[in-house]
Amino acid sequence: MDYKKLDDVTIIGLIQQSQSDALAELYDRYGRLVFGLAFNAIRDQALAEEITQDVFMRVWDKASTYQKEKGKVITWLANIARYRTIDVLRYQKIRAEGHSSSWDELPFFDPPDSQNIEKDVELAHEAQRVRDALSSLPKEQQVALALAYFRGYTQEEVAAELGEPLGTIKTRIRLGMLKLRRILEE
Amino acid sequence: MEAENHVLESIPAYALNSMGQEDRLQVQEHLRLCASCRAELDAYQRVVEELAYAIPRAIPPADLKHKILHSLPEKRVPVAQTQPASVWQRLWGRQRSFSPVWAFTSLFLVIILAASNLWLWQRVSKLEASSQAGFQVVALAGTDKAPQASGMLVISHDGDMGTLVVDSLPPLDDAHQYQIWLNRDGQRANGGVFSVSKDGYGALRILTNEPLIQFKTFGITIEPTGGSTEPTGDKVLAGSL
Repeated sequence: MDYKKLDDVTIIGLIQQSQSDALAELYDRYGRLVFGLAFNAIRDQALAEEITQDVFMRVWDKASTYQKEKGKVITWLANIARYRTIDVLRYQKIRAEGHSSSWDELPFFDPPDSQNIEKDVELAHEAQRVRDALSSLPKEQQVALALAYFRGYTQEEVAAELGEPLGTIKTRIRLGMLKLRRILEE
Repeated sequence: MEAENHVLESIPAYALNSMGQEDRLQVQEHLRLCASCRAELDAYQRVVEELAYAIPRAIPPADLKHKILHSLPEKRVPVAQTQPASVWQRLWGRQRSFSPVWAFTSLFLVIILAASNLWLWQRVSKLEASSQAGFQVVALAGTDKAPQASGMLVISHDGDMGTLVVDSLPPLDDAHQYQIWLNRDGQRANGGVFSVSKDGYGALRILTNEPLIQFKTFGITIEPTGGSTEPTGDKVLAGSL
């Protein structure tokens, strides 16, 4: 079976049936995303590796919990990776200093994956669209959103981290999300 | 019926999961009653989903894929095709591939288990005989959302406390947990949240302000991590006293 020709939902179905080759294909597609998310939030190669391994083991164990009506595979996977990373951040009490706290500080260089060019092009196109939307936000809104998204901070924690009033942070998050919504729905 | 005071300003932060627990529960309560705010939430949740595309990629170590694939459990029962294997079926499946030494060891363990079970039953019988009001047990059956699941709620002899044990519930993602609801006379109380192991096993000690014995029916639903003020997700187990 040529797994590269299968869509993400079919791949998840095959993982449910214990086909490790399907998990390998999912890793080829999204391993860099999961590792990238963990590494950019934590800046620790060993921990990021551990998180990536844990995320794909969870996918192997919990593939049956994926519901295509509730979202795409990439977002389901990103959520698992994000919550796992946030757990590690909280457990290790890693602070934001020295780590990425804004979307435009992140190295938006996606290493090419010659194994799956079509998928790469599709993801790169979608990524560029979202990144353009993010970069159109004022810097302070980007920072607030990044702390909430990558680090799992509540608005109160974002306010404490940035030394800003809570009301200001609430406004930044609300306006940032509103603008993103308008752009992405176009 | 729709709630009067909408929570539109809070919905972006709610979708981003960046609200404190108390505020989050208030928004959740409103969302339960308000279809228009739920539609807003859907729109913002799509925005959060889109953010996944903007996550920067990085090249993992070359051997990580190999490490992951070689750490997968050797056998795993396909969920979509068959009923999950019981603990005994899994043990038997493993035993078949083991050596004769293991077979004898297993037989020995079975005999020990049988003997200890007998002893425990005798102890339980004695305890029951000596107790004027014994434990009450509520059997919980899986709904069509989790037909293979089962559970048991054991209520203390004074009716104040209880312990919930469940088996074969599907493990949930990190954003969700199971929550038990206690119902009586049209009123509902939160009994607590819990997660299950990858085998679907979970346990929870239930502490309520009122004696547990006063509740007549019990239900378990899937809720966002941390729990909800009212049931919002699928019911997976139910039972009555």
